[in-house]
Amino acid sequence: MRNIQNLILDNYDLSDYKIERVLSTACAKNIDFADIYFQYKNAESWTLEDGIVKNGSSSIDSGVGIRSVCDDKSGFAYSNDFNYKNLVSAANMSKCIVKHGDEKKIKIGKPQKIQKLYDSISPLELEKDDAKVKFLKDIESYIRNKDSRVDQVIINISASFDSILVINTDGIKEFDERPLVRFNVMVILKEKNRRERGSAGGGGRYSYKNIINTNLGYEFADEALRQADVNLNAVECKAGSMTVVLGPGWPGVLLHEAIGHGLEGDFNRKKTSAFADLIGTKVASDQCTIIDDGTISERRGSLSIDDEGCPTQYNTLIRKGILKGYMQDKLNAKLMKTKPTGNGRRESYACLPMPRMTNTFMLPGKFEPSEIIESVKNGIYAVNFSGGQVDITNGQFVFTASEAYKILNGKVESPIKGMTLIGNGPEVLKKVSMVGNDLKLDDGVGTCGKDGQSVPVGVGQPTLKIDEITVGGTQI
Amino acid sequence: MSLIQSKKYKDILLNISKNLNTKYDHEFNLSVSDGFTVTCRSGNVESIEHHQDTLMSVTVYSDYKKGNASTNNLSEESISSVIQKAENISKNTQPDECQGLPSENYTKDESKDLEIYYPMDFKIENAIDLTNECESEAFKTDKRISNSEGSSFSYSTNQHILLNTKGAFGSFNSTDYSLSCIVLAKEKKLMERDYWYSSVRDFKKLESVKKIGNMAAKRAVSRLGAKNISTRVCPVIFSPEMSVSLISNFLSAINGEAIYKKSSFLLGKLNEQIFPEFINIKEEPHLSNGPGTRPYDSEGVLTFKKDIIKDGLLKTYLLDTYSARKLKSKSTGNGVLTNIIIDSSDKLESNIISTLDDGIYITEMMGSGANTLTGDYSRGAFGYLIKNGKIQYPVTGITVASNLVQMFKNIVSLGDDVDMRNRITSGSMMINDVTIGGSS
Repeated sequence: MRNIQNLILDNYDLSDYKIERVLSTACAKNIDFADIYFQYKNAESWTLEDGIVKNGSSSIDSGVGIRSVCDDKSGFAYSNDFNYKNLVSAANMSKCIVKHGDEKKIKIGKPQKIQKLYDSISPLELEKDDAKVKFLKDIESYIRNKDSRVDQVIINISASFDSILVINTDGIKEFDERPLVRFNVMVILKEKNRRERGSAGGGGRYSYKNIINTNLGYEFADEALRQADVNLNAVECKAGSMTVVLGPGWPGVLLHEAIGHGLEGDFNRKKTSAFADLIGTKVASDQCTIIDDGTISERRGSLSIDDEGCPTQYNTLIRKGILKGYMQDKLNAKLMKTKPTGNGRRESYACLPMPRMTNTFMLPGKFEPSEIIESVKNGIYAVNFSGGQVDITNGQFVFTASEAYKILNGKVESPIKGMTLIGNGPEVLKKVSMVGNDLKLDDGVGTCGKDGQSVPVGVGQPTLKIDEITVGGTQI
Repeated sequence: MSLIQSKKYKDILLNISKNLNTKYDHEFNLSVSDGFTVTCRSGNVESIEHHQDTLMSVTVYSDYKKGNASTNNLSEESISSVIQKAENISKNTQPDECQGLPSENYTKDESKDLEIYYPMDFKIENAIDLTNECESEAFKTDKRISNSEGSSFSYSTNQHILLNTKGAFGSFNSTDYSLSCIVLAKEKKLMERDYWYSSVRDFKKLESVKKIGNMAAKRAVSRLGAKNISTRVCPVIFSPEMSVSLISNFLSAINGEAIYKKSSFLLGKLNEQIFPEFINIKEEPHLSNGPGTRPYDSEGVLTFKKDIIKDGLLKTYLLDTYSARKLKSKSTGNGVLTNIIIDSSDKLESNIISTLDDGIYITEMMGSGANTLTGDYSRGAFGYLIKNGKIQYPVTGITVASNLVQMFKNIVSLGDDVDMRNRITSGSMMINDVTIGGSS
């Protein structure tokens, strides 16, 4: 299925010749390169709350973005209208980054054989609407039957199908069709006067069937209930500096915040990152090897090609503690005299591409998870987080636990609430003293924001121990 | 956006509304915006982005069932397909007697001047000059300003049109101008970054390039040499921006959706004391030049001025039509929030820092640790240690923790340093007994 070919190129009579003309306009003589990005995105969402599926929504977002790049300068314009005349006028606005210059003659390329990491089939059309509604209702009654303390249940299932075509003046012409499905369940449990929340979910680049026709929805429901139950018994947390063990999977958001953003090419070219000019130096303990891999089949953060038409890659960012490389898009790779790494991503046709992460994780180490917990006298075991943030310049990062426990004399004790971790990216990875053998990727829930642009990402890690980090809480 | 275009969009909506399936109630929301953003860095243009966004959203109701669909393509074909889609979705959702178009107080008047629309023929060249000057003012302010993430100027004109099949029809235009600057200060291998910006409806009211550049530079430099401190419980002054963030947590907790979903720590607290007696919080939807000013909300219900907190007591929840019906009440015109003003019946402190003997002044918070279900609050922060009413040194790597219920009750004073750039306007707030987590 080729949405872009049928709904845009054929419908608006945009031949290769016409697109070459548009690119020639966007690429005046002193412009290094230009690209054109067509997008047609279909999305829908179904939500159950108060026991009924009360709302469904659907959206179509389509448009075309044209970019002209000269050194470190980018000119950019976009349009929702695909008429040839509109494209030419967008191309003229885009090239205004340079004062003048004649047009270059451009010849566009042919699509290459790209390894597909997911099916080019829209999840929206594969499943009937009433099946989605029934699924949500089934999960809800399962939850209500399982626990009489349930006070509120909100369940959402959503999907999108994003068709893109990128053509540039270097001869790239690539199509990609990207399915994405996401499921989420939130429950509130009430016991006496206390109410606490638990939530769980997941998804990936596949069809609704992977969730609706499997046990996954019920597993997430169990997990949300378990978490809310844990939180009902959580006690206030002590503030101060202590040893923290992070559980496997989603806590890898630590790597994303503490390390990942600081290794994006743009911040390092501009030398605004705490990791600028540190390639080849030691930035983490020997046990840390960190990867950004956009090539894992059907993962939320994966892409067959990035938004500049480059195939994604398995990139080693840190090997045994030594910084190996940054994540790059075309513009920053060229200016830093290196190669793009398949990390050029954009939220939509209406945004400029930037270096972004895909699936970022730490490779497993040699320790049993139980061995790691037993090694801690007095500390915290953090299993789940609600999100994080980083200042890439001073390296300061923060993230907030949604499930955490005290560790006393090597044993996991009572759950704690309202816990925040704050640390410094370049410092914290040097304090990683034990890495578990249990690498796990997250369930497919991550969305990363940068400069106002959101893109789906993945994270992962094995159980790991940080010798010392500042923990925030209400008790002293 | 020209008047001709503006009329064109209204005509599109009026035309569609003539040929609808009357089995359904329809609501159309159309927003169109046009503009550009220029970013300059190190004295050169880094990017010029032209924006042009259209979004048409259709909500339909039939037998208390709801469907919604949207598109950014305004061709006749695309619009009729989106209406069809919304109608199809509504067939698969389940009936809920609270669903439906608003039944009263909706917009019919569209002539009122809200003083938020000041269009100009703004030249890209002028925007480039402005951003370059702003960045260079920052570099001139202090030798320690070593690098920049650039300065940006953006301009946009926006038009909103709403129509529903019960007779609501309204439109309004607005403009936004903003200028920002982000710079890095460096000393002994340590780098700190900070920013400043101005955002207005009328270009004439934009802060000067000098002020913005100076502020960005001073803020970045003042962060250098930050120290770690020990864990403590102490009074904390939250800067105006941070106070706004605390008030926005309060506003999400009294939003009708949080209340009917029982996911708020302020559930069942109407007419109870939430803040100290001297605190008042008002909504002023029609403020001249206001960042949140609008005549009607997202459903076409007229917005109106109201007390949210009066003498510390919670006077109202913020309701849209659906949450109002769920709570057996009336819409308060809060399908969206407009302008919110935090004020005091006592005198505002003209120099709030000078009134603090021993505590912390917080200017930045990070992370998502505000839980509106329980009120539990725990975030990372950056700030300054205060002794005897004076800033001593910057502090980093700290956390702020408490519970919002206690924090609101423990407000002891408000500053007159009101930040007018956001929908929510507040001065600094001093709050007693906040736990600061430190590392030494």
